[in-house]
Amino acid sequence: MDKITQKIRETAKLALENGEVEKIIGWTKGDTFDDSHPVFITDEDKADSLIWDSFCVNNVSKYLIKELKQSNKVGVFLKGCDSLGFNQLIVDNRIDRTKVVVYGISCPGMIDPEKVKNEGLNKGLKSVKRSGDEIIFITSEVEKKLSSKDFEFDKCLKCRHPNPVVYDQLMTDALEEREVDLEARFKDVEDLEALSNDERSAYWKNQFSKCIRCNACRNICPACSCVKCIFDNTKAEVSGKAKADTEEQFYHIIRAYHVAGRCVECGECSRVCPAGIPLHKLNSKIIKDLNGLYGEHEAGLDSSVEAPIGMFKLDDCDSFSKQGGGKK
Amino acid sequence: MSIEDEKIEGIDKVKFEPLVVAFCCNWCSYAGADLAGTSRFSYPANVKIIRVPCSCRVSENFVLRAFQRGADAVVIAGCHPGDCHYTSGNYHTRRRFSILTNLLEYMGIEQERFKVDWISAAEGHKFASVMNDVLEKVHKLGPNGKLRDDRWIR
Amino acid sequence: MQRIGVFVCWCGSNIAATVGIEKVIKEAKKMPGVVYAKDYQYMCSEVGQNLIKNGIKDLLLDRIVVASCSPRMHEATFRKAAKAAGLNPYLLEVANIREHCSWIHKSKEEGTPKAIALVRAAVAKATLNKELIPGQIDVTHRALIIGGGIAGIQTAIDIAEAGYEVDIIEKTPSIGGKMSQLDKTFPTLDCSACILTPKMVDAASHPNIHLYTYSELESVTGYVGNFEAVINQKARSVDLDKCTGCGVCSEKCPSKKAKSEFNEGLRTRAAIYMPFAQAVPNVPVIDRENCIKFKTGKCGICEKVCTAGAIDYTQEDTKITKKYGAIVVSTGYDLIGLEKFGEYQYADHPDVITSLEFERLTNAAGPTGGQLLCPSDKRKPKKIVFVQCVGSRDKSVRGKTYCSKICCMYTAKHAMLIKDHYPEMEAYVFYIDVRTPGKNFEEFQRRAVEEYGVHYIKGMVGKVFPDGKKLQVHAVDSITGETIEIDADIVVLAAATKAKDDAATIKRILSISTDNDNFFTEAHPKLRPVETHSAGIFLAGACQGPKDIPETVAQASAAAAKVIGVLSKDKLVNNPCVSEVDEAICSGCLACTKICPYDAISPGTVEVNENGKKIIKIVAKVNEALCQGCGGCTVACRPGAIDLKGFSNKQILAEVDAICR
Repeated sequence: MDKITQKIRETAKLALENGEVEKIIGWTKGDTFDDSHPVFITDEDKADSLIWDSFCVNNVSKYLIKELKQSNKVGVFLKGCDSLGFNQLIVDNRIDRTKVVVYGISCPGMIDPEKVKNEGLNKGLKSVKRSGDEIIFITSEVEKKLSSKDFEFDKCLKCRHPNPVVYDQLMTDALEEREVDLEARFKDVEDLEALSNDERSAYWKNQFSKCIRCNACRNICPACSCVKCIFDNTKAEVSGKAKADTEEQFYHIIRAYHVAGRCVECGECSRVCPAGIPLHKLNSKIIKDLNGLYGEHEAGLDSSVEAPIGMFKLDDCDSFSKQGGGKK
Repeated sequence: MSIEDEKIEGIDKVKFEPLVVAFCCNWCSYAGADLAGTSRFSYPANVKIIRVPCSCRVSENFVLRAFQRGADAVVIAGCHPGDCHYTSGNYHTRRRFSILTNLLEYMGIEQERFKVDWISAAEGHKFASVMNDVLEKVHKLGPNGKLRDDRWIR
Repeated sequence: MQRIGVFVCWCGSNIAATVGIEKVIKEAKKMPGVVYAKDYQYMCSEVGQNLIKNGIKDLLLDRIVVASCSPRMHEATFRKAAKAAGLNPYLLEVANIREHCSWIHKSKEEGTPKAIALVRAAVAKATLNKELIPGQIDVTHRALIIGGGIAGIQTAIDIAEAGYEVDIIEKTPSIGGKMSQLDKTFPTLDCSACILTPKMVDAASHPNIHLYTYSELESVTGYVGNFEAVINQKARSVDLDKCTGCGVCSEKCPSKKAKSEFNEGLRTRAAIYMPFAQAVPNVPVIDRENCIKFKTGKCGICEKVCTAGAIDYTQEDTKITKKYGAIVVSTGYDLIGLEKFGEYQYADHPDVITSLEFERLTNAAGPTGGQLLCPSDKRKPKKIVFVQCVGSRDKSVRGKTYCSKICCMYTAKHAMLIKDHYPEMEAYVFYIDVRTPGKNFEEFQRRAVEEYGVHYIKGMVGKVFPDGKKLQVHAVDSITGETIEIDADIVVLAAATKAKDDAATIKRILSISTDNDNFFTEAHPKLRPVETHSAGIFLAGACQGPKDIPETVAQASAAAAKVIGVLSKDKLVNNPCVSEVDEAICSGCLACTKICPYDAISPGTVEVNENGKKIIKIVAKVNEALCQGCGGCTVACRPGAIDLKGFSNKQILAEVDAICR
């Protein structure tokens, strides 16, 4: 990890010095063990504040939309999942690829601070280091070595793209794409599908009742980048701000539907939700259906492949007519 | 939902008059509905039709709004694939609403409450039978309380 | 504040019997925005229409709702009335309380509340109606016809006679198409060339018609009234103006190995050749792939012998860009390849031929001078077997599922012609059904059986195999169940017709659709057979579906009439219910551009002021002339930046709200 931090700092310093970029977006350390948050650097002296560790989970690609309006060239550090989101933003014409320098970092998985806290390991924790598949928790007294699988985010355990899919420079060597159980990919969706209609309805009602419409899920999502979101547009008269069950349900169903076929499965939506709503289960369900009905599609991977919603084939099948309609 | 609680097997305490909102495309299914009328086929008055130029005009917003406003079922009727007046509109309808159908079921809305079907301008009989079929199923399921906006008086 | 007038029609007793009109009127008056409600027995009558007009003039109504029969019936009528009274016609909505209400329901208890709900929805929609003004498009008064067969020629002549300029673009060196290859035509048995060549000459000499032969269509942009086509005129290597058509060059050309396409490969031709003697233009073309001069640099005999000095080896392909108001597609058909029908030995034996090859063999200008001789050894045949439906009505992957329409008739024609010329020959026709639907067709086929003694056998041919000089044909008579063996000299296969292979290219260039069999799709199979869904592009002939000459000529004239309808206007009025983009909200994601079936939306830019900086923003732009108003783009647009005039998002949401009461 240290070598990577060094490489990041050197790269950033050089790029700012020779004017290759006007601004760099990366991560820096905060006060607590898990606080690695985005930082925006314009001065090469500040390059040493950049870090890379197991808590750099934030996808910083979305900031580019705003930053590119103020700077002509921005450098950004992207992990595998971040780079998928980056590609999706380009496909949506929200950022100009020529104005961005991408520094790719291969990521072995990020640590979920909640899991650390659940094990009580956060007490007196000074720092956390990662070495291969092991996490070393360092307190002032002791160093504990534990398996990374127990502490990674659920979404990282299912990660299929540890290496960035787009980059101008690489900060790390490529990581081996791990064996991911394809059955496990949609397991939580299947669990929900196995329930009855009423049970599912109750489940979602319960989940959505926690929603405070903070819009964090929308703000972090790389597929949600509209200039004027329909939920902010009172003239569209599509939704309101009242705290009514129906408003929350409407918001989440529509948002999942809007990103259908464009969701890169970065899992950030669930991570940032302050109420802990498992939003990725909605998006996963749609991806499962799209793959099953219209062929495997991975958003953000290959911009020459058309997204499944927005194109069609003459012999598409459908999930509604049993006879006299779509051919199966 | 108090109305659903009262739906004890065999005993309906409140007389249930379902509301079905049907979106019909001007060139095929709306004409099919006209033909059903001209041929005097009958289906219940609970179905109310909204005309759209093409089934691809129907947005998920409209479908969800209908459920919000207390509709018990929503039907989208378009031209048969390959026959769309606008050549490819209903191919998009097919994909979009396949996903929405599954998503609504995933949210707990019974599959029978949301129907997408292809009805041509010559299929007046099919129109009536599709509507009768939807209503029969909705009668069995009872009123829809899911996604409903409690502030809206129907 | 709106002043909405609601007019409820009784339609005699059609509506009034199962809908309580007074109740509807009473409820309508309570609806928001409604200031006037009136009922009448027949709203579409002059009296009824005057009620509407007077309402607009005297009561200053600015929105009208008519509760009556289906809008598909009388929306246009009522909108015309509104316009006559000075109100924009798009401020009028129709509530369908007849086909969708009074005729469906049996009692007033059922029908009345539903009628009220439907009127409420129409009022809610009308409240949000905006004045819409149809745009106007200029028209270029020239037509382009793609394909110079009989369909293209007939269309061109009809359009030219009406006084408009027409260009025909033809891929091969001469116009004429399949009909020029035929010998005689059914059901009159007149000589194909005799009836075709006068039309070909007409087309060539008409002052309004211009031919681009040996040319291909490269691209077409634009929309009805304003198409821009790029035509690639390939190099003939012969100067069209200087050549006199004497034919000496072809005679003297040393390279004579190439197979003659016109004669279906049954004869060879020179490298510099005229496709056939009556070719129009009567100018040869050099097939550069087979020309010794172009391949090796040596030869040049044709240039030496040409007294007119018309040979020009330096000619190059030229690109021509031209504007047109309307386009007609008449690219014709081909026969399917028979490689997959190994049981008939088509590929292996020269005496197994297709029907088109048979036409060439009996044609006086054909490879055997009109004598029907076995292609293998030029002997006179004694027994000829005709096999119907080779590849037609075939559900397997080898053939086409449809009936090719012309084969029953041309086989009867072939059989009759040989019996007429060679009465001692035996002709056998193996068929599944005999389809003779046209005028005088049935009588024609009966003649073959009754007068000429052609043996018609209902049954399938199992296989054909060579036996010495003869061909053993093994078939089954499905009526008697007997197996039949015939020692034939020639076997003629009625191969299925198919759309030309380049239909897929044309389809993409013009953005029109084809069906699963590659035939171009008409706008409506019964009521609009020569139009496509793309305004300004029409179809004629076998490219739309298998058809014979009488039907092709009828369709050609029909297409010409449609084209004249477009070209006769100075300005075209377009449909005003089109999409429009709110550029302030548009994110430029261009998802809408992928949905549009008419390519009416394209990326554009707009300059915006953001935080004091001027930024160029990508937005979607709608070409209102191309937009047909389907609304698919509005759903693809997630923020709702693009909306459909006449069926806007708010209007439909208002209708949903009004219904759900």
